[in-house]
Amino acid sequence: MPIPSPFHARTSELCTGLRWKDWSGYHAVCSYGPCHEPEYIAFRHSAGLMDVTPLHKYDVSGPDATAFLSRLMVKNIAKLKVGQITYCCWCDEDGKLLDDGTVWRLDENDYRVTAAEPSLAWFQHNAHGFTVSIEDTTSRIAAVSIQGPNAREILKQVSDADMDGLRFFWLARTRIDGRAAIITRTGYTGDLGYEVWVDSEDAVPLWDALMSAGQPYGIMPTGLDALDVCRVEAGFIMNGVDYYSANHCIIENRKSTPYEAGLGWTVNLERDPFIGQQALRLEKEQGPVRHFVGLEIDWDEFERLHARYGLPPELCSSAWRDPKPIYSTRGRQVGQATSGAWSPMLKRSLALATVDGPWHEVGQELQIECTVEYVRHRIKATVSKKPFFDPPRKRSVIGAPA
Amino acid sequence: MTACDVIVIGGGHNGLVTAAALAQKGRAVTLLEQHDVLGGLAVGDEFHPGFVSAGPWHDASTLSPGVLSLLDLDVASSPESVFAPQRAEDGPGLLLHHDPGRAAEEIARHSEQDAHRYGDYRAFIDRIRPFLRGLLETCPPTPNSIWSLIGPGLRLRRLGRADMLEFLRVGPMCMADWLNEYFQCEMLSSTLALPALAGTRTGPWSPGNATNLLRYEALSHVGISGDAPAVIRALEDHARRQGVTIRTGTRVTGIRTVGGSVQGVTLEGGETIDATVVAASCDPKQTLLDLIGPTALAPRMSQRIRTVRASGAMAMVDLALSGPLRFACRPELDVARARLVGTLDEVERAYDATKYGQYSTEPMLEVVVPTLGNPTMAPEGCHVASIMVHFAPHDLKSGWSEEDSAAMADVVVNRLSTVVPGVRDLILSRRVRTPVDLEARYRVTGGHVHHVEQALDQMIVRPDFECGRYATPIGGLYLCGSGSHPGGGLTGLPGMLAAETVLCQL
Repeated sequence: MPIPSPFHARTSELCTGLRWKDWSGYHAVCSYGPCHEPEYIAFRHSAGLMDVTPLHKYDVSGPDATAFLSRLMVKNIAKLKVGQITYCCWCDEDGKLLDDGTVWRLDENDYRVTAAEPSLAWFQHNAHGFTVSIEDTTSRIAAVSIQGPNAREILKQVSDADMDGLRFFWLARTRIDGRAAIITRTGYTGDLGYEVWVDSEDAVPLWDALMSAGQPYGIMPTGLDALDVCRVEAGFIMNGVDYYSANHCIIENRKSTPYEAGLGWTVNLERDPFIGQQALRLEKEQGPVRHFVGLEIDWDEFERLHARYGLPPELCSSAWRDPKPIYSTRGRQVGQATSGAWSPMLKRSLALATVDGPWHEVGQELQIECTVEYVRHRIKATVSKKPFFDPPRKRSVIGAPA
Repeated sequence: MTACDVIVIGGGHNGLVTAAALAQKGRAVTLLEQHDVLGGLAVGDEFHPGFVSAGPWHDASTLSPGVLSLLDLDVASSPESVFAPQRAEDGPGLLLHHDPGRAAEEIARHSEQDAHRYGDYRAFIDRIRPFLRGLLETCPPTPNSIWSLIGPGLRLRRLGRADMLEFLRVGPMCMADWLNEYFQCEMLSSTLALPALAGTRTGPWSPGNATNLLRYEALSHVGISGDAPAVIRALEDHARRQGVTIRTGTRVTGIRTVGGSVQGVTLEGGETIDATVVAASCDPKQTLLDLIGPTALAPRMSQRIRTVRASGAMAMVDLALSGPLRFACRPELDVARARLVGTLDEVERAYDATKYGQYSTEPMLEVVVPTLGNPTMAPEGCHVASIMVHFAPHDLKSGWSEEDSAAMADVVVNRLSTVVPGVRDLILSRRVRTPVDLEARYRVTGGHVHHVEQALDQMIVRPDFECGRYATPIGGLYLCGSGSHPGGGLTGLPGMLAAETVLCQL
């Protein structure tokens, strides 16, 4: 039975569509109205406000915190500066992905890690010999994500933090409505956006402050359905959808490595030993057998296929997660698409897929399964560059020297 | 910074054996011992002015023939007798000699039949000893090498059908069931059982620990004049003759590694010594979890080593005595080694306490009087009694306090006074050491005198399959202490076998 998040008093009033789901044991809104599209539009054109409290959060501190996290993560955390955040992943001893998330350096020896899955046991397992304390702060800290082109202006109304100067993947400590808050320039939409973190007791005042300051800027409460479309546009991989944590895999084939999941760029191999290093070094030498790619599904073929049955193109407006086989043009299965969405911004039908080498190069023509009137067909899908949507404002800093 | 070929950590008997064996083959060996004296668990210390205690491993009867042949020691052909006293009104006690011929008369005082059966018991052990010693005196077999399995297999067959089947039947039994098949007199059974239970966290009814008894009986074969301290002195002389550089009072704080191989060690105070081989005779948990940094060991291995059981259940009480211990049931006897036991069920109950985080209020005691063999360990006319107390857990539920220690020592002295009525008047001073104190004094994890628990599972794979044959996953790092095959006790075998492994791989 899911529990209400600290924002529930507000979100439950606003959620007139009653479309909820269980996110990590919390009631989470899928969409506030009957359809998520207005919320998607808010994310991309004004600002969306979303309760992200269910993200798992771990505060790691102590004299060995840096060494411990460098041991745990595939990225060298020692290089992270105070106030900086990094996106990375962590693996088991065999170099298989366990989860991905962000690591923030709050202070010299204080960090926060966000994770998609409960990770305390794994962290504690590996903390032996390190002087660190690890606290699961998931329920103690409330978080909202404010994403969209107006997000910065809205935050300027409520906080005196230097929002213009706050760089992509950095954090600022501030006060909102007189209460301590951390603003991180992070998010899951691939757009200009921030996340705001406060003590759970301060959740409702934070929500109210942002909603009222955001009114002139077209702020809108947003749910998971809108986010899901955005994250496909941004090409972000999702644990449990596009890959599976090795913790849950019964068979080896279901596990993935960072290189296979397109997260090879987060791996710093040449440094002190970290968990999975040997296996990852070997994989890097040999090259991964699978690759995480973006696909664009050919609209004309899709339309023609439906026309053959006398149907208009039947397009689900929300993102999909039911895996679809991917074939080479000669009909051999070479992978699977694990999520996808119609992008209202780009007017393209997008998918995220894992395909075998050498079918992963951008421009490679492939085929995706498409079922019309209960009959399976294959239509053209082309490997495309990710992220599909990548506006300059995502990383922009105002007034900074070029 | 200095450098040598091999660093041996720990100057207990295994460390000394390893160091000497490697030096003999021409390696430049430095042995580092944190204490000012060598000997580890085999030696005691001055606990009262002029009074020196025995160490937890005073019994030198198990020293392997291979090590024994290297040393100049005064050796008797069978282990010394032990005395199991009774209250004077209950009986004459049992002076148990190892040799059945000499033990028969004593046993017959309690049971005619047992006197006869004791001969059968010893005869069976004598018949299977070559096989058991074969197992104990070679590197453990590994499923990776079929050849390593053939030798033990052939030796097992060579026992003949009857003894082979009997061995296979007995090994996984509990020792109480097996001893009950032989003997009616439970005092005899308990006296035989106690040295095999010593230091372990098992009772006579624990499954599989007949193996411990078989192991002890197969190893215990000689009497050594001067016991453990004499062995340590001889080993030190031998090691020095082979050219080992011995540094006492030198504590290793870390083993340095680079790229998965050892580079050397760091000492307290920051000094470093380089070596491509480090043989650690300290316990495996300390070696692999504390001395090796947390990043050098892979998570799975680290997890497995953490789950190795190594929580001690033996305490020690040392008494400084103004005169000799006289047991009321046999006041004429000079007893150098006494076992205060009860029935097998009473031994089991003493062990049961540890399961619930308590110390036994009716403990079984092994009383060693080292001053009978070596009068210099106490002022003239005075004696020392070093008492191993079974059982008292390292992880006492309430945590060990001064009061707990004192209360336990009272229990021990009360128990002793039932058979030595005047003992209280002899006590000049007493020192009690719980497993927590033993851990601090000897720096052995959990205060476990075998380094890791000696139960069937941890004897088959000791301490872990990735380091069960002395080499570890860290290049150049070897285990050479009691935490490796064939386990604890004053045998010298882990040290010897580790040295052989190092020489094979160097």
